[in-house]
Amino acid sequence: MSLEMHCRLKRTKFILDVELSIAPGCVLAVTGENGSGKSSTIDMIAGLLACAEGKIALGDKVFDDSTTNQFVQPEKRGVSTVFQGGGLFSHLSVERNLLFGRGAAFKNTAKFEATVERFNLADLLSRKPSTLSGGQRQRVALARAFLSPSEILLLDEPTNSLDAVSRDEVRSAMKSFFTTYEGIVILVSHDADEVAEIATRVANIKVVSRDITTARLSA
Amino acid sequence: MKRSLSAPRGLILFAVPAVAIVVVPVVAVILRVNWSNFLASISNDVSRTALVLSIRTSLLTTSLALIFGTPLAWFLASREFKFKSLLRALCVLPMVLPPVVGGVALLYAFGRRGVVGSALNDWFGWQLAFTQTAAVLAQFFVAAPFFIIVMEAAFGQIDQRVVGSARTYGAGPWRTFVTVTLGLVRPSLVAALVLTWARALGEFGATIAFAGNTEGRTQTVPLAVFSQLESGDDSALALSMLMMFVSLIVLVALRGKWISALRRGF
Repeated sequence: MSLEMHCRLKRTKFILDVELSIAPGCVLAVTGENGSGKSSTIDMIAGLLACAEGKIALGDKVFDDSTTNQFVQPEKRGVSTVFQGGGLFSHLSVERNLLFGRGAAFKNTAKFEATVERFNLADLLSRKPSTLSGGQRQRVALARAFLSPSEILLLDEPTNSLDAVSRDEVRSAMKSFFTTYEGIVILVSHDADEVAEIATRVANIKVVSRDITTARLSA
Repeated sequence: MKRSLSAPRGLILFAVPAVAIVVVPVVAVILRVNWSNFLASISNDVSRTALVLSIRTSLLTTSLALIFGTPLAWFLASREFKFKSLLRALCVLPMVLPPVVGGVALLYAFGRRGVVGSALNDWFGWQLAFTQTAAVLAQFFVAAPFFIIVMEAAFGQIDQRVVGSARTYGAGPWRTFVTVTLGLVRPSLVAALVLTWARALGEFGATIAFAGNTEGRTQTVPLAVFSQLESGDDSALALSMLMMFVSLIVLVALRGKWISALRRGF
């Protein structure tokens, strides 16, 4: 099922127009300058922001449609997210972060064991995210996304603010993850090397007007 | 020990009176308490009744602050709406208001002839003023702002992307609030509860104006100390000592967390 997104986000002094059509198996990298609306695009797909006009649909499942006032809540979209810094729950152990929400169904399963092994987290399970390095935190976030079934995987600058070693570590974890992932991957990134190495398609958000910042993304 | 190069040495002389004004009275109470009679003083009928009443009302106040203050603090921290600054100012007004003025205001609101109180009296026959409920309301009025301001700051510091993660991984708004949002603010929540409880326990002015000073019904420990002091009873010192001891335990238990919590709040 491909993701079709034709929508406009309106904020005070900011307009973002997004035209996207992405098929499963695609790793789309979204690039663009700061403040152009990369994260907002991710948030609209995840359901953390509603689009002002237009429609977002995954196959025949409508996520957001301004004409019919349809809006599917984030928890019902089957979307996994990996944010900058991980977006982990700092008060919960790594294990409970992995088993949160949809992940809970995989407690004591072979898939959980395989995930822990794949992302090399066996020694970290009882630790709190605050005691982990940036790279380790992102590995946990990727493992959480890997464990929970999803049709869309959204990553918002997952390697930003990591040192070179951690960045390579997270990048290779992402690459191995994406090769087996059957859904749609959207990766927001600043890093040209990362985009070249991982993405199968690239879309650049262009700022077309600065009076009221108007940005456009189409792919 | 940390040394600052820029602080002039003479400055310390000005700090001494500040310490003295706070510490000397505390020491004076410790010196004057009749220790041989201490247990008897705090366990006589009047003191014991006041203690039980204080603990019961202050715990109730703290629970009410938790139940009603948490959603309010969350709204103040996470929603933008008209007159938000005004609402916040009104909510924390009791922090800067003389408590006795708060008591007077409560009396004019919920007293028998008060704006709301007269209706409650006419419709349900309820009389709030000079009851234990009034003591709780007075404590809430004075102490809840501490809870609200600390919790608003705590909620305001939560990374919304983390809350967003919880939603995308399948938790609905309520589950996210309970398991993630409240989990993330837990250290501040504990600090806010202890701070609120301590403030409620020490409440005097609003209570005496709105709930009165009836032994066994509305006479909490601070009011008992006041009454005993007026009648020249030694128990006043013993109860004061006890209150200072409790306050000290609270401060030590919080280890300065309340300072950082309040600082974030302002």
